[in-house]
Amino acid sequence: WSGLLAAYTAAKAGLQVQVVAKGLGSMHWAAGTVDVLGYSSEEMSRPVQQPLEAIQGLTASHPDHPYALLGAHQVQTALDAFSALATELGLPYSGAGGFDTPGYSTSGDNMLLPSAVGSLRPTFLAPQAQLAGDASRVEPLLIVGFTGLRDFYPELIAENLAKQGFQARAAFLPLNLLTEQGDRNNVHLAQGLDDKTRRMKLGGELKRLARPGERIGLPAILGLDDHVAAFSDLHATAGAPLFEIPTLPPCVPGMRLFKALRGRLWNLGVRVDAGMEAIGAGTIPPNGAAGRVQWVETATTSRPLKNRAKNYLLATGGILGGGFDSDHTGRIWETVFGLPLTIPQHRYEWFRPEFMNPAGHPVFNGGLAVDGRMQPVDSTGQVIYSNLWAAGGALASVDPIQQHSLEGIAIATGFAAAQAIVRAMAQ
Amino acid sequence: MPMHTTSWESVGPSLDECIKCNICTSYCPVAEVTDKFHGPKYSGPQAQRFRENGQPQSPDHSVDYCSGCRVCNEVCPTGVRIAELNARARAQAAAEHGIPLRNRLLGRSDLLGKMGMIAPGLANFAMSNGLARSIASGVMGISKGAQMPQWSTEGTFASWLKRTGAQRLKSDKKIVYFHGCSTMYYEPYVGKAAMAVFEHNGFEVLVPEQGCCGLPLLNNAEFPAAEKYHHRNLEWLVPYARQGYQIVGTSTSCTLTLKEEAPDMLDIHSPEAHELAMAVWDMFEWLRELHDQGQMKTDFQPINMVLPYHPPCQYRAHHIGSPVMDILPLIPGLDVRESHARCCGGAGTYVYKKEKYQIAMDVGQELFTFFADQGPQVTMTACTSETCRWHIESATHLPCRHPIEVLAAAYGLYDLEKRRLVKE
Repeated sequence: WSGLLAAYTAAKAGLQVQVVAKGLGSMHWAAGTVDVLGYSSEEMSRPVQQPLEAIQGLTASHPDHPYALLGAHQVQTALDAFSALATELGLPYSGAGGFDTPGYSTSGDNMLLPSAVGSLRPTFLAPQAQLAGDASRVEPLLIVGFTGLRDFYPELIAENLAKQGFQARAAFLPLNLLTEQGDRNNVHLAQGLDDKTRRMKLGGELKRLARPGERIGLPAILGLDDHVAAFSDLHATAGAPLFEIPTLPPCVPGMRLFKALRGRLWNLGVRVDAGMEAIGAGTIPPNGAAGRVQWVETATTSRPLKNRAKNYLLATGGILGGGFDSDHTGRIWETVFGLPLTIPQHRYEWFRPEFMNPAGHPVFNGGLAVDGRMQPVDSTGQVIYSNLWAAGGALASVDPIQQHSLEGIAIATGFAAAQAIVRAMAQ
Repeated sequence: MPMHTTSWESVGPSLDECIKCNICTSYCPVAEVTDKFHGPKYSGPQAQRFRENGQPQSPDHSVDYCSGCRVCNEVCPTGVRIAELNARARAQAAAEHGIPLRNRLLGRSDLLGKMGMIAPGLANFAMSNGLARSIASGVMGISKGAQMPQWSTEGTFASWLKRTGAQRLKSDKKIVYFHGCSTMYYEPYVGKAAMAVFEHNGFEVLVPEQGCCGLPLLNNAEFPAAEKYHHRNLEWLVPYARQGYQIVGTSTSCTLTLKEEAPDMLDIHSPEAHELAMAVWDMFEWLRELHDQGQMKTDFQPINMVLPYHPPCQYRAHHIGSPVMDILPLIPGLDVRESHARCCGGAGTYVYKKEKYQIAMDVGQELFTFFADQGPQVTMTACTSETCRWHIESATHLPCRHPIEVLAAAYGLYDLEKRRLVKE
């Protein structure tokens, strides 16, 4: 998320950008929604209602939190920019109550959308096809699955929703509505619904199943490259509000966004090279003044390749993304530049007692300390390399998974870092 | 037949990095079009847990349908060597069940090359003759539709080198050229174009004794024979690597094999194998380095043409970015359009196998559509790999050139239409 959005922001401002990535990542893993702040570390028992308001409070309570470093206004600007981009890509996102009026500045509330196990996830912006799942809506829910489809169990979802006080029931349709082939994953099934005949057939079956007044929840496989048309066809044929429930990875809503964004980057002349793992860098080390990055080395099948640029943005993520590595003693390090981390270097200090501890765990809360311009700093607050920025999952003082803020952090910090680089280039 | 044992040292442990995210299956071009291949995750890291050296039965047969395109490796966010796991599984199955004569033949591009060169006109006639192809299909299982390479009717690359030895440039700047079997027997003009580019940039070209890199054997699961081939090349080429020569190749799959495929797949991790791997360059990787140092000549003549270019999957597997796209756009007038298609479908010898031909055509559709979308002004395409070029030509009915031919033409040294040097 953070790297691609930063690449887009910088390229749109006229910079020449190259994306070097180990593989394709986080957009394929998550739900395709934009979680800005789902839970605060003070109050884990119920979700945050107004995330942008809560972010304003972070400035005093958690001054090192990336949102606090940027300020609520910058976070909002970044979300606006993302919203505009998503609309431009033909995959509009919207906030609570915004099904009929895209553009997130609706109520400012988090939505609560059903997950693939029927729990409710707080999220701020969602693709249009997920909005009708919002818990604030009153229609009873019909969750439809497909016999033989792995990892999507409508009965489990309906049962868990019912336990939380919703009127919900489950139904199954045969898998051969979606495919003639025997062994398909969610992405292949979504591709199947890019075919108009197939989705008209499915729409007819949904119409037959739904009782008047119900809304229908389906696995998030409603088209891949032709999703908007697929969704609107299905909606029209079924004659009921529809919503997608994000599946286990690979997540089709995230992949749609990735494919559209990568296409946009190609059009802007940005190269997106996957399969190129950053393994090191050539630097002039800091010596009183800030140092400089001269190149980033990526692994090839032979000699490492030196990738040279004027400015560098590190968006390799934390432990999950591969931006950090560790050994059995508890030593943990940033893999490209060897930047200092705020994570304890002894294993027994990594975790607090209790897995669900509301204060989180130091190993997940820690990371790269940055200044307000998203430049990595040392323990005295001095910028380490004058031409290095960082964004996304690598940043310190936040556990995006616990706080449900992964995409919000990525969008806000990626956007801010890119803007700072654009300003630095203009000087 | 003795089992080829491997330690799994470099490839095996990577399966523990798999987080089951299925990104590989989502991008696998083969699993997308057929049920016969269950996809990289199932055949690779998943099935791997049930495979062991010497185990009486391999757990699945679908791995034979993996085309080896390595898109899975490219998109994997955690670095699992999926394509290599599959190749090793194929080798294990081959050791257990034997290798069909067809695959043994397809694996030996050097032998096929030599055989055809006895009477290339006759061999080409047989390969384009419907009756002969029907027999080959029925008896051997070689697909009737796939375009066979044409043996060179003007002699091998080696014979041309010998003939023109006196005209070759002498210089203090020297490099070693690795031409590969296809330049040797089928497309000597690719080698001539490369020689012209090297010499135009002031390099004397050494072409020492060299053999097939062994990739076709690796693809057809004949690991013991591939091992012999690699050791032979080590013997011939390491002395040059030790003297500091850069060894540059125009066949992207050969250079990939010398760099990584052979050492990793066959567990040849000797210092010699490492020395060779470190000295080998792909032609355009080398040219990009030359250009970065400000030493590549750019005295180009314009080529006014739209040229769709496909970086083959074997090329992307070098992990060197897109060097062709760093160099070709320097040519004035040339509108190079890079394809982002995953694979042409041909995948080396895959398309020649009867049971895989249709899969290869279906996989290639993404690329063929891209070419068609570039409009009717397109008269020619480009691709860095020979087998892909043949497959692309048969599917698009347009000539497909190696980018080095385009570069040589831009230097005014090569006729892109007739595929021959201007001064010959």
